[in-house]
Amino acid sequence: MKQKTALIFGYNDYALEIAKNLKNGYEKIIIYTLESDAKMIYENHEIEVRSFDLSDNWSNIDEYIDKESSIAFCVLEDSAENIFLTISLRSTFADLNIIALSNNKQTASKLQMAGANKVIPLVQTTAEMIDEMLQKPIVKEVFHTILFESGALKIAQVKINEHNAYIGKGIAEIDWSIKYGVVVLALVNKDMSSEFIYSHKIKHHIIDKDDLFIIVGYAKDIKEFENMTGSRCD
Amino acid sequence: MNFFTRLAVDFAYFLHSSQSYQSKKRFIYDILENDKYHYKKYFDIFMIMLIFLSVAILIVEVKSEINIYLKIFNIYVISFIFLVEYALRFWISSSVSEIIIKKSEQAVSLGRKFYLYKALLGAAKEKLRFVLSIKAIIDLLAILPLFHELRLLRLFVVFRVFKFFRYTKSFQVFASVLATKKFEFFILFIFSSIVVFVSSVLVYIMEAQNPKSPINTLFDSIYWSVVTIATVGYGDIVAVTTEGRMVAIFVIITGVSVLAFMTSIVVSAFTEKLDEVREIRTVDTIRELKYFYLICGYESVAQEVVKKLKSSKISIIVLDEDVQRVENAKKDGLIAINYDPGNVESYQKLGIDINLQVKTILCLRESDVENVYTTLTVRSISKDVNIISLLMDDANRKKLNFAGANEIFYPKGLVGMIAKELTGRPVAFEVIHALRNDYYGVDVEEILVDERMSQNILYVSELNCAKFRIILLGIYKKSTKRFFFNPIEDTMIESGDYLLVIGNHAFMGEFEKYLHKKIRR
Repeated sequence: MKQKTALIFGYNDYALEIAKNLKNGYEKIIIYTLESDAKMIYENHEIEVRSFDLSDNWSNIDEYIDKESSIAFCVLEDSAENIFLTISLRSTFADLNIIALSNNKQTASKLQMAGANKVIPLVQTTAEMIDEMLQKPIVKEVFHTILFESGALKIAQVKINEHNAYIGKGIAEIDWSIKYGVVVLALVNKDMSSEFIYSHKIKHHIIDKDDLFIIVGYAKDIKEFENMTGSRCD
Repeated sequence: MNFFTRLAVDFAYFLHSSQSYQSKKRFIYDILENDKYHYKKYFDIFMIMLIFLSVAILIVEVKSEINIYLKIFNIYVISFIFLVEYALRFWISSSVSEIIIKKSEQAVSLGRKFYLYKALLGAAKEKLRFVLSIKAIIDLLAILPLFHELRLLRLFVVFRVFKFFRYTKSFQVFASVLATKKFEFFILFIFSSIVVFVSSVLVYIMEAQNPKSPINTLFDSIYWSVVTIATVGYGDIVAVTTEGRMVAIFVIITGVSVLAFMTSIVVSAFTEKLDEVREIRTVDTIRELKYFYLICGYESVAQEVVKKLKSSKISIIVLDEDVQRVENAKKDGLIAINYDPGNVESYQKLGIDINLQVKTILCLRESDVENVYTTLTVRSISKDVNIISLLMDDANRKKLNFAGANEIFYPKGLVGMIAKELTGRPVAFEVIHALRNDYYGVDVEEILVDERMSQNILYVSELNCAKFRIILLGIYKKSTKRFFFNPIEDTMIESGDYLLVIGNHAFMGEFEKYLHKKIRR
């Protein structure tokens, strides 16, 4: 049976951290290691560990993963191997969501060229966090809580359903922060590019069905807002 | 112990324990000798100006009559200032009371009789050492014009120029660099002296009896020899006989080699000491900074952090024990020094006040061992300074916490959390990422509510966020240290609070202006 699977390529601390964070969201998590003694590693962890080779053609993966909902992480520590892996996965699975880890800008652009949907630039991201900690400590704290921690404040993606009362109204006319206690940060366009809520482009936007809003609020308020709009889109 | 000895020892103890006396002496020491003392540079500038003025008056005086008050100022006022300075330097050069106490305690502990004159003799030796030092002799010569009745002594004003050595660090560095080659210079001096002696005697013998030769005395021959060996060759005195010219050829060849030897000594001295000279200058620059980030370890994360921090207008200093990484930091336009951040001595050599001058210390080595060691070292110097450290292996988190890091960044953990967000709420994550990184010209800012702002704007409703197309995400209340998300309109705004706002750059600027300008009626 095809399952919603997270495939993590590279057996290292990054892989274990990713597996730890994804264990509730996926039916199956498999870590692939270049080491031949995968069985021995497997015995020490709850997560399934399999061996792989960069020359594999990956056709057998197709038999047990649901490509639509599955995701692959390329976190090999050697940049060249990571790029090679990404390009070989992309050449085999055109639609698979691939997230790759890069240690520098040069590798990041190569990984994107190799077909990664998203690249996590490790060094830059860490530097951004440290910089934010130093220059905007409150922003860092609030965003960190919203994004990563299970605090009261949440961020959500909410879609407007077709029978919503706000359809046809100008975005500038409404203030959901008072009525629902949520702050709307952005509107996501149909091409999935996001626009900041007060930007020039969407200042005169008329709310339509399937509009996707990024909102921040307390869990209870978000729930209420979701009931009003129709659906949550996480 | 007789009465006078007892009196002298008691007086020595009195001075030693007198806070008022010691603080005055300390102040005088700081202003005259302590390079780390902030106000010393003003004193140095004042003294340099006095020296310039004094020499300028002397030069003008040579060919024209100068104002009597200027003359009095030069001879009496400036000389008196120099005299006071000399006396103060004499005072702080050593402590007589300390020597008396030390000798007295030594005698008591060894059960010997204490002789006051021996202690005073020891103190006198210390003072004499100061008096006979080059710097003190120059100082003394600079005072001599005070006794202007002795006309010759007025020329000693020129010696005031040598006082520059005391007040300009470059001269001192130059002298210290050359001092490292004392032995080589001594050899060169001996060699040159022998050549001058031999050649002047030879040329005197060859030329003195020739009526056409300008070399008539031994002094003429020594003068000729020195001018020739120095390759100056004025041509006012020349050898005319063939034998004399043979000597000249020998001296010229020797002179060229002496000059080459001397140049090589100076160059090698500077080459060897160049790093040290640069280090001294870097340390001086760091000491003068009022506020800076101290980055310990310049590896990939540090390089990226620096790129971000450059916009903050706060200086960045890099400490690293690796020469290549220090060079990389310098290439990136930073002030970097090749000191080990894990060594207490490094901070002592820098001579900085960590609590006052350092905003945050960032331990950014990609090694937990190094970061723990640096954190512990810094914490042993300062209990309060903010320390942020990189963590490479989560197993070492407790160690870093225990060492005293205020904030820990674990990149691997960050990857896990980002992976979760990217798979769970990818669009929301991208929006926050865009906000954080100032994409689309939209930024998130924390605005500190100052006293004036808090008097102008009392409630959230008065912020007029909608007018400036600003989203007020929340208020961080200083009083409760809590963040209030989406505050209701009648929430009070107090001084010290932070407004967390999101908006376009241009509007954000206007909004901040509005907050500062608005005057309550």
